[in-house]
This record gives sequence, C-alpha cells and structure tokens, in this order.
Amino acid sequence: MSAHYSDKFVYHEPGLQHQFEDMGQQEESVSIGMWMFLAQEIMFFGGLFTAYLVFRSKYPMAFAAGSNHLDAFWGGLNTIVLIVSSLTMALTVYYAQKGNRNMQVILILLTMFFGMVFLGVKAIEYTDKFNHGIVPVAGLNRKVKAAPNAEHEVAHEKPCYEVEHGGAEVEHEYVNPHGEFLWTDCSLAKLAQDHKPNSYLTEAERIGYYSNGEIDANKFRDKVRIFFWIYFIMTGLHALHMIVGLGLMTWLLWTAWKGNYNGEYYMPVEMSGLYWHFVDIVWIFLFPLLYLLGRHFMH
Amino acid sequence: MSEHHEDHQHMNIPKYVGIFAILIVGTILTYFAATIDLDWIFPGANTLVALLIAFTKMTCVMLFFMHVYWSKRMIWLAAVASFFWLAIMFSYTMQDYLTRSAGVFSS
Repeated sequence: MSAHYSDKFVYHEPGLQHQFEDMGQQEESVSIGMWMFLAQEIMFFGGLFTAYLVFRSKYPMAFAAGSNHLDAFWGGLNTIVLIVSSLTMALTVYYAQKGNRNMQVILILLTMFFGMVFLGVKAIEYTDKFNHGIVPVAGLNRKVKAAPNAEHEVAHEKPCYEVEHGGAEVEHEYVNPHGEFLWTDCSLAKLAQDHKPNSYLTEAERIGYYSNGEIDANKFRDKVRIFFWIYFIMTGLHALHMIVGLGLMTWLLWTAWKGNYNGEYYMPVEMSGLYWHFVDIVWIFLFPLLYLLGRHFMH
Repeated sequence: MSEHHEDHQHMNIPKYVGIFAILIVGTILTYFAATIDLDWIFPGANTLVALLIAFTKMTCVMLFFMHVYWSKRMIWLAAVASFFWLAIMFSYTMQDYLTRSAGVFSS
C-alpha cells in the first residue's frame, strides 16, 4: 500500500487543492469562476443602468437639473480616490507574485484606507442631500422651517377652520412637514424651451413637465425625483460593494500578514483584485452619468 | 517553478503607474469635457464624449489592471460576452420604450 503510494507521489505545490491536476488548471478554473461572477455583477448593475437609460431618455432636462445639484468636486475626488486604490490593489497583486509580504500588507492597508475615504466622501454627500431635502423617500429628509417672511402666506393657505384653532402655531410651520422631497427649480425646462434652439424637449417632457401649457413646478419635481431615486439606488449599491470589498480586504490583510502568498500561490489576491477593479469600473461610469449631465448648461 | 513564476510578471511598476496616469488624465478630461457645451453637434454629444472616455478608462483597467490582456481566450469570452448581454438588454428595452408613441399601441 505505502509502496504503491510512494510510486505515484509527485511534487505537490502547497497551494494546490486536491481536485486540480496542477496549479495552471487551478488558476484557470478560479479565474473563469471569478469572471462568471463579474459577468453576473455587470448584469446586476446593468438592470439599474437600463432604468437610468429609460428614464433619462424620457426626461433628459430633469436629469440634468438633478445632476447639477450633485457636487462634481466630491464625485471627481471619489473617482480619483478609487483609481488610486485600484493602483495600490494592482501593486498588491504584483508584490504577492514577488512574495514580498511587507509590501503586500502596506498596499492592502493603503487600498483599505482609500476605500474608506471613498465611503467617507459618500457619507458627506448623502448628508448634504438629506439637509437639502432631496432624498426621494418622504420622511427621510430634514424638515425645513418656512422662512419668517413666508409665515403669512402659510397662514393664508390654511383652510379657514384650521386657522381658527391653530393660528398661534404658525411659527412652527415646516415647508415639508413630513420630510417630503423639496425641489422648486425648473429653470432647465424653461431653458430648453426658450434659449437653446439646438436642444429640444422630448415628447415625454412636452407632456410630463406641463399643465395647461405652462411649465408645472410640481410635475418637473416629480421627474427630478426619479433621477434622485436612481442616484441613491445606484450609488448605494455601489457603496455596498465597497463595504463588501473592504471585508474582502480585511481577510486578505490577515492572510497576507501570515505570508500565505508567493509566486506559486497568489490567486486569492488576484481574484480580490478583480473584484476591487470591477467596483472601480462601475464608478468610472457612474461619475459622468450621474454628476456631469447638466454642467454644460451652467453658463 | 521559477519558470512558472516569471509567466505571471507581465507588468512592472512603471507600466502600472503609466496606466494609472492615463486613468487620472481621463478623469480630468471627463470633467472638462462636460463643462463645454457640445449641443451644437447634436443634443447629448456631451454624454457620448463622456462615455467614450469612460470606455477607454474601463478598457485600460480591464486589460492591464485585471490582466485580461494576458488571459486565456475563455476569460476574453466572459468579459466580452457580459457586455454583449448588456447590449441586448439595452437594445430590446429601448426598442420598446422609444417606439411606444408610434403605431397601434400609441395613446
């Protein structure tokens, strides 16, 4: 028995799983599995990009108006932060192949640092949207008190039977008592209508922004709200991927610290890298498609 | 074993930094291209330019950071096919939405 076994014994790399013939076959299988996963991730985000495509093709001006409210500085900064983290991730793979443990650990820590900077900037942006009352779900926004000079108007808008009882509470009026979506600016619809001979309102816009032949601020607001739904779902799902990526990096940091990876066995680093680069690629598309739509209308 | 090792070192640090520089330049270019009004070409030309830059950046990341350039044909197939499926989803969805205002189903 043991003689038979030793006859068959060949050199066996420490990283080789028993079901594979050799490291080459293992690496190929692992890569194909990861790329199948990434292909379904592309379809996952693809559904949201399709929603974006449908609604933007219907209401381009409302999307441009919503986009102009996003801060392109933070979006651009986050793009650069993610590209730097992609570089550190690619270099992690490079040093894993070299078997350089210290550089791996340093670069994984840097990648995690930039990932957290990204999420921090995202938190700043979300806070700003919350304060401006443009989170699309009623109840999620900060309630904004009416300006003092608007108090009289609010009082007059009340039905007569309510003013009798609650007239003294006028100073507590909110413009959005339930945290509703706040949007009053429909200037881009006006711009497209008047001053941009080469721009046009789509058929959906000619129906969707107007009532009785006038631009209706409330109808325009509802279309802007679609943009912000898509903005929050897409960036939210992307941020969730960043959080998952940070979890992956934590595990990678631990295994790299133990010195698991070298020129023969580095696929976990390479595959985590593929995931990280994928998340970067999604942001490369999200940045121009969400932040920069209406910049060229701003002068 | 050392032979195997060298198989996988296609990139070196200057090359990685070079790709990184292309990505940074692409990001800055995206921003400034968005501030120029290109609607005189056709409405939405700005988005086309932004997407062209984004596709270039994506290609750089996929080929060199994700090492697709040196990967097996099967990996190329997975990478390209996912975009082909995406194109099917976009085109079949849009051929519905863009034609709803015409023909027998218009309201």
